[in-house]
Amino acid sequence: MKLGVYSLKKIWYQGEAQAITCQTLAGEITILDHHRPLISVLAPGMITIVDRQKKEHFIPIKSGFVEVQQNNESRFIID
Amino acid sequence: MESLQNIKRRIKSVKNIEQITKAMELVSATKMRRSQEVALATRPYVFTALEMLRNISQSVGEGELPALLVHRAVQRTAYVVVASDKGLSGSFNASVFRAFDAFLASRQVDVSSESSIFVAVGEKARLHLKKRTQRVDRSFIHFGDYTNLEEIIPLSEYLVSGYLEGKWDKVVVFYMSFRSALRQEVLLREILPVDPEALERIAKEIIPESGRFAEILKEQGVSFFAGAPQKDAEYIIEPSPVRALELLLPHLVVTEIYHIVLEANASEHSARRVAMKSASDNASDIGGRLTLEYNKSRQAAITRELTEITAGAESIQ
Repeated sequence: MKLGVYSLKKIWYQGEAQAITCQTLAGEITILDHHRPLISVLAPGMITIVDRQKKEHFIPIKSGFVEVQQNNESRFIID
Repeated sequence: MESLQNIKRRIKSVKNIEQITKAMELVSATKMRRSQEVALATRPYVFTALEMLRNISQSVGEGELPALLVHRAVQRTAYVVVASDKGLSGSFNASVFRAFDAFLASRQVDVSSESSIFVAVGEKARLHLKKRTQRVDRSFIHFGDYTNLEEIIPLSEYLVSGYLEGKWDKVVVFYMSFRSALRQEVLLREILPVDPEALERIAKEIIPESGRFAEILKEQGVSFFAGAPQKDAEYIIEPSPVRALELLLPHLVVTEIYHIVLEANASEHSARRVAMKSASDNASDIGGRLTLEYNKSRQAAITRELTEITAGAESIQ
């Protein structure tokens, strides 16, 4: 799926991703391809992104939001 | 005619001034570009946040809007004046203050009453408010050349918590917005209660009207609002739409204030650049005139000496 992780200062990640794992206020979730549209509030912790090459990226967050859109595109805004 | 030594000394000091102002001009130009870059970097975040706001608000009913979105009867207003910490920036500070004073006069705001709260951003704003209103309720100074997010958060939290606690019902900001390197104008903006349309306008204004960065949008073909409205997409919103909205709004306020201060920063540097440019132009003018005068008086001195010598020689014969 297409993924963008943005903060006010910079773009942390932009491109294709296979799976994203993050902590939300409701608990830990993993977003895979064709996830249902979702908006959730993130809890402090780490976002783990697995890209197409199976490589893992880690992004620490203090707070943030995730939006999964219908067209297989996810976006995170983080602090 | 002035003595040679005197003129020489003046030439030297004028040259020094020219060098300094020239350097300041270059530094300000770089800083201006840098603050524009910082402002541009916020764009993806802002657009995403705005879309989320829109998507969430579709699932929130009229009656359950969070307090930050509700317009209530205005009894107390907080005025925030954004200016610079340092001077030497031409009319930058003066025009913000002029607009502010004109606003107070036109609304017949009683500065001593409890119904207005004054917040200063920048040392110069603090001094002006103190002179104008005899009281500054809170001041935030030394935000630096391009402000940092960490410095904005206390300001934003102060404004938001005061609003939620009912200390004021409206927040108005006066600042110098950055249209292009040569054009800035004083704007008055209501940032609380939050108005989503105003946010959207700000987001679009991130890109200056002309100059280096105006092209970026076209080049990269960025279109954040384009493929967005898929009206019927049913979002699952956790924990609940209202709660999510409540959590998202303060972030948008931070973004808005961050952006306002950054724009003021860019305007400040640009104003300083222009002021320094005219200062160094002036200095080189004066330098030229002084050199001319120096040469003339040197010439006069030589002529005088020659006449004296010949007169002396004649008297001996």
